[in-house]
Amino acid sequence: MDSNRINELLKKYWSCEASLEEEAELREIFKAGNVPDELKETAPLFQYFEENKKKSLNDMSFEGRVMEKIHSPAKRGHISKLVYNSMRIAAGLVVVLAATWFIRNEIRSSNPPEVVDTYDDPKVAFEETKKALMMISKSFGTAEEHAKKINLFNEAQEEIQKKKETKL
Amino acid sequence: MDPSGRLVIDFNGMNLESFQSRVMPAKNKLFRFALRFLGNEEEAKDVVQEVLIRVWKGREQMNEVQNWEAWCMRITKNLSLDRIKAMARKQTHPIEEGYSVHQGTLSPHESTELHESMNRISQFIAALPEKQRQVIHLRDIEGYSYNEICEILELDMNQVKVNLFRARNAVREKLTKINAYGL
Repeated sequence: MDSNRINELLKKYWSCEASLEEEAELREIFKAGNVPDELKETAPLFQYFEENKKKSLNDMSFEGRVMEKIHSPAKRGHISKLVYNSMRIAAGLVVVLAATWFIRNEIRSSNPPEVVDTYDDPKVAFEETKKALMMISKSFGTAEEHAKKINLFNEAQEEIQKKKETKL
Repeated sequence: MDPSGRLVIDFNGMNLESFQSRVMPAKNKLFRFALRFLGNEEEAKDVVQEVLIRVWKGREQMNEVQNWEAWCMRITKNLSLDRIKAMARKQTHPIEEGYSVHQGTLSPHESTELHESMNRISQFIAALPEKQRQVIHLRDIEGYSYNEICEILELDMNQVKVNLFRARNAVREKLTKINAYGL
């Protein structure tokens, strides 16, 4: 290899003016190993690049693992999302139901629906009861009066019927 | 292939088989790039796995991406940086594994010497600032064009060139020093 060409390429390489093709050419030259002695110091650098290029992901099971992950997660993801979401809704419902149940209990115990004693003094209570009974008996009295009136009609009707029978 | 020789993939019609045969082969490039950041093979593998799963999940939108490989590299970069941040881990150290130097013509002495200098270069590159390290990796190992590097690293052309220039010259300087003084 023409050492002028190598020097020219190297100069471009160090100043970062070499094209990709020129850099590839340079690598090929160093790979072939026929470089002039004065450039021997640069050779390990290019050798280093070449060796690093060969480095690969040295794991036979790697592809399999990736393919497996690609296959499964989407489906499992959907189902677990569904379960997760419905669990969230269910948990929300449980909280609301529990809260309403407790509040209802609380309200019930704070104002009980049964009759409450109205009077503490027995005398007053007696008077009140008497009043109530009197009211009822009064109503009964008036009802009796009305019934008497109705009776009057009945008696009159019966007498008329009797008279009619005797005439006939 | 498009005119630039890049592989063009119809992501709309993508099925598992074409994913495996066309996208999967990019895994090594992604792995090397992630490894450059993380310095740990297991972490790098995890990142590559996540990138590939993202490509599969987003395959319907992928046709709008101009250069899907650069897109993958960018995601790899972002995920790797996230991972570094998350683990609050300082820059991990170079891949110290040995390099197999198969050159039958070299004497044992020469081969050891070469092996040693390659380990040194690995250290030089690992010691570079992060951007420079990324740029030199993308250009000199993966052979990306400047435009693609801009796209991957989300930098402008000028920044890419400046970083590459600094990276190459820092390594060159150290190489010359070794050879001159045997340091």
